[in-house]
Amino acid sequence: MAKKSKSRTITVRLISMAMTGFYRTMVRPRAHRPLSMLKYDPVVKKQVLFLEATKGGRNR
Amino acid sequence: MATPQAGSLVTQLPLRLRNFFARYPPHIYSAAVRPPLPTPNLPAAAVSASATSPVQSSAAATVAATAGAPTTIPPNTNPKTTATEPSSSSSTPIADAIFESLPSPYTPNRDAKGYKPADRSASKALLWTPARHANPFLPRKVWTTTGRRWSGPKFGLRRQAELVKLAKKHGVEELLPPGPKSTEYKALRRAEQGLAIKGTGVGQKVKGHKWERTMETRLEVRRNAMLEMPEMVRLWKQRGHGRGWKQWPKRRQ
Repeated sequence: MAKKSKSRTITVRLISMAMTGFYRTMVRPRAHRPLSMLKYDPVVKKQVLFLEATKGGRNR
Repeated sequence: MATPQAGSLVTQLPLRLRNFFARYPPHIYSAAVRPPLPTPNLPAAAVSASATSPVQSSAAATVAATAGAPTTIPPNTNPKTTATEPSSSSSTPIADAIFESLPSPYTPNRDAKGYKPADRSASKALLWTPARHANPFLPRKVWTTTGRRWSGPKFGLRRQAELVKLAKKHGVEELLPPGPKSTEYKALRRAEQGLAIKGTGVGQKVKGHKWERTMETRLEVRRNAMLEMPEMVRLWKQRGHGRGWKQWPKRRQ
């Protein structure tokens, strides 16, 4: 039986670099490079850097 | 024996107290005529707090006299002398003998293994009254054909508290039977147990919730991160908006 194929996209978590514990969940193509963006963090009430968190494995 | 002064004292009392004293004459039931009890492990603060004023003692004597009671109060009935016994008295053979002879209202199984008379706390010993005049403020054991059971106090805690408040107002608290609402008992309990709220004692700390305990550290981390944020953003922009970024955060599992 053929192995179940992986989905084309994955759900990733972008963590606020203000260390507030706030995060955003996004969907990106599996082959895409890790996401990172400036977004608003409601805890510190400022726009801060959000970086994708690696889940065990490493980002390319 | 009843002096006019003592008579006037009685008439000044509210009817509720007078009725109580008529039903439970102070010369039999009151804390003032309690036999002397050694007070083991009693802190000095409790002694000073629980020591009653001489005014009250004299009032006890006068009311006992006006109630038509035998005026011979036992010579060692002054609670002041009993309360100020040092804690070392519990180790003397006399004190042990007294303890042995005392029935306890709250520890029925005195023959239990490992029971020591010194285990009796001062506050419990304070509540002791002779069995033939059952203290209306304390529960008592009732013997029936089928065995024994506990019967509640004649006066519930609410009525006791009201009586104590009333008696305190008129300076005759000592004439009431010893009970859990008396000032003396409360002071002793406080001295023995301290505040019931954990962490409020001397040298103690309230534990609090985890988010409260870690709050300071987390705020510090956040503050540092925000201080470094402009530099981080500058670097991130410089490295092609994340294209050359190496330090990705690890996601906690």
